[in-house]
Parts: sequence; C-alpha cells; structure tokens
Amino acid sequence: MIIADTLLQGILMGLLFALVALGLTVIFGVMDIVNFAHGEFLMIGMYTVYWTSLLLGVDPLLVLPASAIVGVLLGLASYYWLIKYLLRGPAIAQLLGTFGLMLFLRYLVMFLFGIDYRIIQKGLLVGKSLAIGPFIFDWTKLAAAMLSLIAFAFVYYFLHKTKIGKGLRATAVNREAASYMGIRTDRMNALAWAIGGGTAGVAGGLLVNFYYAFPTVGLLFVMIAFACVALGGFGSIKGAFFAGLLVGVIEMLFPIFGSLIGSSFLGPHFKFTVVYLTYFIIVVFRPQGLFGWKH
Amino acid sequence: MKDAFDFSDFSRAERIGLLIFSLFLIIFPWIGASSFLKAVMIQFLLFSLFGMGWNSIGGYGGQVELGQAQYVGIGAYTVALMMVWWKVPFWLSMPLGVLIAVGYSCIIGYPLFRLRGHYFAIATICTSLVLKDIFENWKLVGAAKGVELPIHEHPDFLYMQFKSDTYYFIVALFYVALFYMNRFRRSKLGYQLRMIKDDEEAAESLGIDLRWCKIKAYATAAAFVAVGGGFMAVYNLYVDPASVMDLDLSIKIALMAMLGGTASLWGPVIGAGFLVPLDRFLGSWLGGHKGFIGLDFMIYSLLIMAVSAYQPRGIWGIVQQFFRGRT
Amino acid sequence: MKGKRLFLYLVVFLSVLMLTPMLFAAEKDIKIGVLYPLSGSLAGIGRDLQRAAELTVDIVNNKTPGVDIPMAQWGGIPSLGGAKIKLIFADHRGEPDRGADLAKRLILDDKVVGLMGAYNSAVTKTVSAVAERYGIPLINDSSTSPDLTNRGFKWFWRTTPHDDYFNKDLFELLKGLTEGKVKGVKAIPKNELKNLAYVCENTEWGSSVAKSIEGFAKEYGFATSKGMLYNANSPDLTSEAKALLAAKPDAMLFASYLSDSLLMIRTLKGMKAHTKFFWGQDAGFEMADFAKTLGTDIDGVLTRTVFIATLTKVKKVAGQVNGLYKQKYGDDLTGATARAVVGVQTWAYVLNKAASTDPKAIQKACNEINIPASDLVMPWAGVKFDATGQNILGRGLIGQYQKTKEGTIDLEIVYPFEFATANFIYPFPGWD
Repeated sequence: MIIADTLLQGILMGLLFALVALGLTVIFGVMDIVNFAHGEFLMIGMYTVYWTSLLLGVDPLLVLPASAIVGVLLGLASYYWLIKYLLRGPAIAQLLGTFGLMLFLRYLVMFLFGIDYRIIQKGLLVGKSLAIGPFIFDWTKLAAAMLSLIAFAFVYYFLHKTKIGKGLRATAVNREAASYMGIRTDRMNALAWAIGGGTAGVAGGLLVNFYYAFPTVGLLFVMIAFACVALGGFGSIKGAFFAGLLVGVIEMLFPIFGSLIGSSFLGPHFKFTVVYLTYFIIVVFRPQGLFGWKH
Repeated sequence: MKDAFDFSDFSRAERIGLLIFSLFLIIFPWIGASSFLKAVMIQFLLFSLFGMGWNSIGGYGGQVELGQAQYVGIGAYTVALMMVWWKVPFWLSMPLGVLIAVGYSCIIGYPLFRLRGHYFAIATICTSLVLKDIFENWKLVGAAKGVELPIHEHPDFLYMQFKSDTYYFIVALFYVALFYMNRFRRSKLGYQLRMIKDDEEAAESLGIDLRWCKIKAYATAAAFVAVGGGFMAVYNLYVDPASVMDLDLSIKIALMAMLGGTASLWGPVIGAGFLVPLDRFLGSWLGGHKGFIGLDFMIYSLLIMAVSAYQPRGIWGIVQQFFRGRT
Repeated sequence: MKGKRLFLYLVVFLSVLMLTPMLFAAEKDIKIGVLYPLSGSLAGIGRDLQRAAELTVDIVNNKTPGVDIPMAQWGGIPSLGGAKIKLIFADHRGEPDRGADLAKRLILDDKVVGLMGAYNSAVTKTVSAVAERYGIPLINDSSTSPDLTNRGFKWFWRTTPHDDYFNKDLFELLKGLTEGKVKGVKAIPKNELKNLAYVCENTEWGSSVAKSIEGFAKEYGFATSKGMLYNANSPDLTSEAKALLAAKPDAMLFASYLSDSLLMIRTLKGMKAHTKFFWGQDAGFEMADFAKTLGTDIDGVLTRTVFIATLTKVKKVAGQVNGLYKQKYGDDLTGATARAVVGVQTWAYVLNKAASTDPKAIQKACNEINIPASDLVMPWAGVKFDATGQNILGRGLIGQYQKTKEGTIDLEIVYPFEFATANFIYPFPGWD
C-alpha cells in the first residue's frame, strides 16, 4: 500500500521532470547542443508566474501562459544572440557558451531580485489536498502533473502533426537533407530553442506553486533533467517522457525501500545518488539510453 | 626526460614569454604585494595545476570531463586523513593519494570510456556527485563535517605547513606539472591522443587501442588534480566534501582550461590567469558586502560567453590570432 | 574585430582598476574584520547579520540616548581616547578556502586588530586557523558547532552557546513536560512521550545536531525510533516525510534550513501529520520568513532560539535595541541577529578593557572579560569565557509559535520555565 502510494507520488513528480527534460532533448536532437542554461529557463519561469500572479492579483494557474511566453522569448533570445554564434565553433566552445549563459541568467536574477526565497502563497489550489481512498495528494502537484501531461501532449502533437513540427524533426534526423528540401535550418534551430525555453518556463510556472523560487534553483533541476534526457536517449521525446517518470519513481521509492528493509545507511540522503548511479549503469550498458537513436 | 625541458618547438616569442613569466614568478614575493594578491597568486597557480591536468583528457584527449573534483577530493582526503589518523607526513600521503586517484580513475574509466561527447560529460558529473554524496554521509571520513588538520609550528617540511612560504611550494608543483605536460604532449601517448582526436577510425586501423589511451590520459588528469588536492589540504588545513568535491569545482577547472584554450600547453595557465583574479577581485570589489549581489558573476559570465562565441579556441586562440594578423 | 578590441581593452581596464588597492579608514579608527556569507545561499542571513552588526557599532561609536547599556553613552572606546570602531566586512560565500584567504587579507593588508564571524561553522574553522596562526583574536558570534571550542586554540572565543547546550535545553523541556514543570500543562505520563524521531539536514550542522540528540536521548531515557539525514537541497521531501510518519513518533525533531523547513512543513501538512511535540533546532525555524510564509500553519511549532522579540516584554534593553533595529530595517531581532549585536558589543567591551590594540593585550582582556547580564539584550547570565574560549554564561530559549486573537502568529517563550510568557500548547495541534 505504501508502495502504491509512493509510486503514484513518483509519477506525479516524474511528469514534471519529463516536461523539463523535453525541452532539453528537443534542443539536443536538433543541433547537438546540451543546454546548461535549461535550469535557468525553468527558474525564470518560476519568477514570472510568481511576480505576475502577485502584481496582477490573479490565480497563479491562470498566469501560466505568461511563463510559457517568457520562456519562448528567452529561448529565442538565447538562440539569436548567442547560440547561433556558438554553432560555428567546436563542441567545447558550445559547452562553454551555454555554461556562461547559465551563470549569466542565474546572477542576473540574483542581482535584480535578491536571494530571497519565494513561493506562491495565494491561489485556488494552494495548500489543499485531495483524498482518493487511502491516498492523499497535494492539489498543486496534481495540477502540475496534469498540466505537464497536457503540455507534453501539445508539443508531441505539434512535432508530429504539424508541418513545421515535422520540419523540425526532419532537421533533427538529417540537417543537410532537410535543408535541401527547403527547410531552413536556422529557423528550425530557433524553433527548437523556443520549444526548449517555453517548456522549461511552463514547468517552472507549475513548480513555483509548491516549491521555492530562488536564483540557484535551476542547478538542482538541470541535473535531474540531464539524467532524464540521457536515460531516455538524447533526442528522443518518448525517451524523455519515460525517463522522467522513471526518475520520479526511483527518487520517491528509494528512501521507502531503505526504511522497509530497516537500513539507516540507505536513506533519503542518497535518493539522488541512486538516480545518478542508475543513469551511469544504463548508459554504460546501453549507451544510447532507452530510446535514443542519436549517439 | 630530456623531452620535458625541450621547448624548442615553440615560437621564439612563446619561449621568451615563458622566461619572463618564470622570472616574475620567482621575484613575486619580493615586490611587496598585498597578502590578498599573494593569496590570489597561489590560487592561480593551483588552478593552473588543475587545468593542466584536465587538459590531458579534456584537451589532448578530446573528451570534455566535468567530474575532476572527485580526484581533488581523493587527494585531499588521503593527505588529511593519513595525517590525522596516523601522523603520516605529506611526502608519503600525497603519492598514496595520487595512487588511489589513478587507481580509481582506471576502474571507473573502463566503463566510462564506452561513452562519448555529451553522454560522457554528464556521466563524469554523475560519478563525481555520487562520490561526493558518499563522502558526505560516511562517518569514517567525517561525513559532512570534514577533517581538520592540526596546526604545526612552521616551517614544517614534513607536513608542508608554512606561514607565508607556501608560495614557493606551489610554484615548484606548478613547474613539475608544466614540465610533465611538456613531455606528455610529445610522448607517444600524446601523439596517439592527437591522432584519435583527429580521426578515430584511422587511429584504430593503425592498431591504437582507443580506450586504453583515453584511460591513460584520464589517469594522468586524475594524478595531477590529486596532487592539487593534497596541496589544498595542507594549505587550508580543512577538507570537507563541499570544498574539495563539489561540482562547482569541477566546472571551474574545466572552464578555465576551456577558456584559456585546450590542447595547448599554455591554455590552462592563461585561463586560470584570467578567471582566478577576475573571480577574486570582482568578488571583493563588487561582492555581496557592497550590496551588489551577483554583479561580479554577471561580468564573469559575459566574458565566458563572449570568448566562446568569438574565439572558440579560447584566449590563447585570440592571442595567436593577434600575432598572426587576421585569420 | 573592432568590437573584440574594445572588449579586450575594457577587460584590461577593469582588471587594472581592481588591482589598485583601496584605502579608506581614518588613522584613529580601530578596524575589525567581519566575515559573513553575504552572497550565495545564506546571503539572507548574512545581510541581516551585517545590519545588526552595523547598528551595534553605531550605538557604540555615537552617543545613543534611550538605550540603557553603558556602551551606548561611550561615543567610541573610552580607554582608547574615544577611537571609533570600524567594521570591515568580507563576503566568504560559504566557502572555507575563500574565508581563509579573506581572513589573511584582513589581517595582513587591512591590518585589523581582530576578527568576528563567520556564521558557517565550516568557514569559521578555516578562518580561526588563520587567526590562530597569526595571533589575531577572533570572536565568534554565531557558529554553534561544538567542535570549534575543542581544538585548544588560544585566539578563539565564542559568545554564543553551542549546539550541545541547546540540545540539552530540548531534553530539559521534554523532561519538564513529564514532570509538570511546564506552564499551563499538567504532567504528561512518561510512556506517552517516549518515542522521538529526528530529521536533520545532512551537512556539518545537521549531522552534529543528530549525533547530539542521540546522545542526550540515551542520557534522558528516551528512545529514538527513527533518525534521518536528508539533503537540504532536495526539491521534494515527500518520501522523507512519509518515512517519518511511518514511525509514528511522539515527538518530531528537526534541524533544517529555511527552504527545506518550509517544504517539510507544507508536505507534512498535506499529509495531515499527527504528533504530540514538534520542534526545530533554530536556523530555518527561527527566521522571519518562516512565520511570514507559513502563517497560522505553524501554531504549536517549537523552535530553539536565543532571542525572541517577546523578550522585549521582560528585558528593557532588549526592547530598546530591538526598537532601533525595527525602526531601521522593519524586522524584529532574531536569534541570529541578536548574537551579532552581542558579538560587536563584546568586542567593544574587550577593547575598552584592554585599553590597547596590541593582540596580546586583547587576548588577556578576552580571557578576563565579564559582561554583566543587565548589559546584554540576551537573557543570558553574562559573557565570560572558560579556558576553551566558550562563553559559559550563555543559554538558549525555546519558543513556541502561537496563534494570537487577531489571527496572526507570535513566538512565545516556553523555556526556561521561569521566563515563560504564555501557556504551552500540548499536544501539537496538527493540521486537520
């Protein structure tokens, strides 16, 4: 019973992780760049919803689109003002570049808004729980999970059923061939970043309902996102989804497992260690991750 | 051995530059600089050491590695624990630390080098985080509390504790590293790595064992940073997971080498030369106590972005470009 | 190309600018170096500490009416001809090696006569090692790791009580509950309050608290049915909370920083957790933001602290200094900030007693100093250091958050029993 409950909680968090991983994997799929600043997009999404909801006095869930818009703009700005130039150089420079972007965004926010912790205080669902049988769920987490799922489905639909989306996937598979077909690589790159920024922004907007926004929050989530993306396979959307769920479940299940077998050494302090180890093991024995097709 | 001291394949300008720099290093303590400047100098030399080590695998080896901190930690903890538990002098504990670091790097290197590119980079982050988590919760090595080294009367050559002459110690280590790297890049391994970096398939067809070469480069890197870690232990007299095994440290090391220019002997030194003073000075000039939180880092990161966008070969690339005229 | 050149020049210019040493401080000033975490994750506390220190040094340097402490009428250090104290702040960002480097700079370049700080116990360790090496006095106002006074250092003094004192207070309270000593509560039968569970963050501080709790539990005859260490940076504490509840403890004891304590309480609230006794070892539980963010949700929560605003009701000087602080910054003094006040105050008294800025004279003054209780904003018996440098006259308080009639939340003193300002709420109301 306690396992069932933990599994469900794991899936809820996992859906959010999956959304964060989605943006990262799309960017990588299209142009082979690992966006270190992804966590900062998330963080800015959090601040966006926080401030908009506070200043306009509107329920945070209603201002969620604001974080999507800010995320998209941020992604596009990053592409046109930095990433575009990085693409000309070697992979090392790209890594360095996105790394610099990460630091810049993080400290810009710290400079503008200070180091205080902020979380949504007022909202329709804040602090309320839903009881279904023996399970108790936090409403904000439930909402976050459901909206993540919707966002995910939306992006999936976009990529598979719309012309532009298909163009993006084509560019991801084979950039040159796609450009011969008239699909403009530059546009597709920008689109990938727009999706990356937008999804991360939305994830942040959902997260701030039950977790604190502070300038360095991005670091925690970007590591989880990396693990998810690598686990699922770089470039695979399906992979991001399942890996997100897997990581969420592992992260929840592990401490319970430890206490069930009566061990105090295997406790909650190792729950992310286990995630990292899992990544390592899977990636060594199956380097392309679960569903990856890019190596 | 003679190779280590042979700098003949560098341009005249570079050799003169090295000479001037060396002279500067030697007379530095006598020019009356503030203690802050001295401390910055020591940090600069330490990070040059770290960077040069990183360069073995990141630059010459061609695989960006973001988990060096775990080896810094191994070096630092070995020296610290041996001193606290059994009063082992630095000259015995440090080589032991290096040995353990090298051993560990080979063990995890074997599966690690099945990966490449971004997968590899993230895997190195993971292994480093795992080790840090273990140390943070392992009571035997002090867990999160870390290990404090007892203060000895200075100068103490057995345990390497000095009041203000630690400087020459790190300068010595710096030169040992420099000469070793000079030899490294001209050694058989160095050439093999360059071949692998240029064209893996061709290298393999010539009978080069890819994985083994990379592991050797990786072990070299581990050895270098473990020495640095040992130094940190006797310099700060305190080691804990947060200060010697942190992800931030790994990233700083990689960043400095990449910024300076990888796959060149001077790159890491230049990178450290830029970023360490920038970090320390901006931190004290524009840091939190003046009310500007984060401004120093913003400038730091703008520099990184600018260099990465305009000159991917790092600052050394900029310098080379400057001397050669337009590309 | 032009842009690149310009950029290069700018960088060179900035570097040169920064290499120019900056001097400020008039000759007559007495310089004291203060190391706090002014950026990074603990920057909020660092900023508050800096403010409290600056306020206190103002009180010492300028005759301040309305504060009944002798030093408020000094206008500088009397025995040194009215010389003013100048605090030089340095931001160590929570990094021990940076703290050590900054300490060296303060000592060798800025030529401070002494140091104060550094809040983080890990940084205090390296800073004090530097002070010990150079023979410069360090007065530690706010680090509570018991280790710090166990090293046999001769240049280290600590005004605040350390964690072992505070944990002992906790057990005295528990014991007091079973003996009917607590205001407003009849004696609780021992077997109703037998199982304890602790949940502590896993760095230096939290793990020491955990160890200390285990030790005292044995001594006082309680059982620890569950002990957990967790990562304070974890984005989610659901599984930790579940494991805690599964043990069904009579008392839940926490050592958490701010964001994790907020997260933990929200999570437990979501699970409608039940227990009889809910206590936090200061830090997160004591910060102004804790009460502001959680509001009436924390009714019944206990926190160890050293200073509570309600003290102003029973101690006049506390009210006076608190009033000044509140007027300038809008918040009441807390345990952390009040200790910064005591730190600077101790420095002022020590300098006055030493009548000299010579380190050895200051060292002697520290070893002999005796500040009376009436001069302190703290409810302590005074400031007097033992041979290890620990202030043996300090004591902690335990406060309980209680709902007021107006629906806000206030912190009332429940321990020591003779200082209690309200009836103790037992059992813990929980969140139904």
